[in-house]
Amino acid sequence: MGADHRAFLDATIPHLDVVWQVARHAAGKGQDPEDLVQETFLRAYAGFGSYRGGNTRAWLAAICLNAARSQARRRRRRPWEVPGPALLDALPWYRADGAEGAADVADVVIADLEAEKVSRCLALLPEPQRVCIVLVDVAGYTAREAAEALGCPRGTVLARVHRGRRRLAQLLAEAGVSHGQP
Amino acid sequence: MDSHDRLLTAYVAGKLDRAQARRWDEHLLECERCWRAVREDRAGRQAAQMLRQPAPPGLADRVAFAVEMTASGGTTALRRSRSPAQPDHLGRRARWLLAGAGMVAAGVAITLTLILLPGGHQAAGLPAAVAAVARYAQAIPSQAGDQHSPSVGRAAPVEVGRPVTVTAGGQRIVLRTWRLGGAEAVVAVSDHPFPMPGRAQRVSNGGMAWSARLGRLGLYCLNGRTSELVAAPVPAAELAALAARLQVA
Repeated sequence: MGADHRAFLDATIPHLDVVWQVARHAAGKGQDPEDLVQETFLRAYAGFGSYRGGNTRAWLAAICLNAARSQARRRRRRPWEVPGPALLDALPWYRADGAEGAADVADVVIADLEAEKVSRCLALLPEPQRVCIVLVDVAGYTAREAAEALGCPRGTVLARVHRGRRRLAQLLAEAGVSHGQP
Repeated sequence: MDSHDRLLTAYVAGKLDRAQARRWDEHLLECERCWRAVREDRAGRQAAQMLRQPAPPGLADRVAFAVEMTASGGTTALRRSRSPAQPDHLGRRARWLLAGAGMVAAGVAITLTLILLPGGHQAAGLPAAVAAVARYAQAIPSQAGDQHSPSVGRAAPVEVGRPVTVTAGGQRIVLRTWRLGGAEAVVAVSDHPFPMPGRAQRVSNGGMAWSARLGRLGLYCLNGRTSELVAAPVPAAELAALAARLQVA
């Protein structure tokens, strides 16, 4: 008999919502986030017998990201959706350093943002930054939890989040999503 | 990343102590580059937080159902040995939560072992996708099946609850529960054919159809553009008629 599934569900179901946030952005094109959530919990259940405790949220996030990568490998494609050409065409050339020549996004207020455009701009970020932003800003993980899930130092997570946020804000400004004055 | 950038990262993350944070507040008044970085960080965070979206209703029940099914050995993805015939009330609860069938009279004794053949033993070699459907349908009260006959032919099917999607045996399956008068049936639809169990029989005049009996549960599968599997506690002879009433295939 495997692990006690009631104990497993008691320990993990309260974290379903944060796993859902991660799955929505980790699921590749053509991959249903709900299927990914189910796969995450089934994998977690399979490993629950050897699970030694710790941060359950971080544990589930790591499983979810691994499951997304596994499925993407099976599909021979990257786990993160590549933005469509329409958005790329709409974006002016983006200066990576974000300094000279870039719009001063600090002078605009992000208002009435369309979530879809934000999501597609997020998809433009390098995967390490994207994953950290999804964990910390979207799913609400602490930097320490994200670091545990990703197996990297907390400082690395903080740096990736910071760089990712800046690039995301710049991309949105370039795409004309941000508007208005403070 | 130099030490200045590290401090900036710590500042925007709120990780500096009070004295350090105060020094950075003063620094930001004079340094346009850092001030831009701080404001971009805040704008990016605000945008990312817009992407939060509550989990779909029913997802927790779907996950609980999948785990409970796996715990009983019902999927091929995670094969587990199981002790025989363990009553499992979570499956019953989950199924009725999923189907939204709280109006069904309580107290109906249902033993939710996975798949029981007449002898009370788990079906050996039952395909995972078929086992998942059978397990889901197992919670239909026997009374419904016993009373269905007089009314099945007349009543219009009424869907109970909302559809549930599960993945078993590599198949994505959408499960719907229907009520016809006093009877209830589960209709499972998949893009891939439901594998024919070892004890199933091909249905005459339907080369792509098969039927099977699992304890009190009858199964009727018809393969067309999609594969549709009806599971209900009705006599085998009435399965085809029931499927027709549900407009299967």
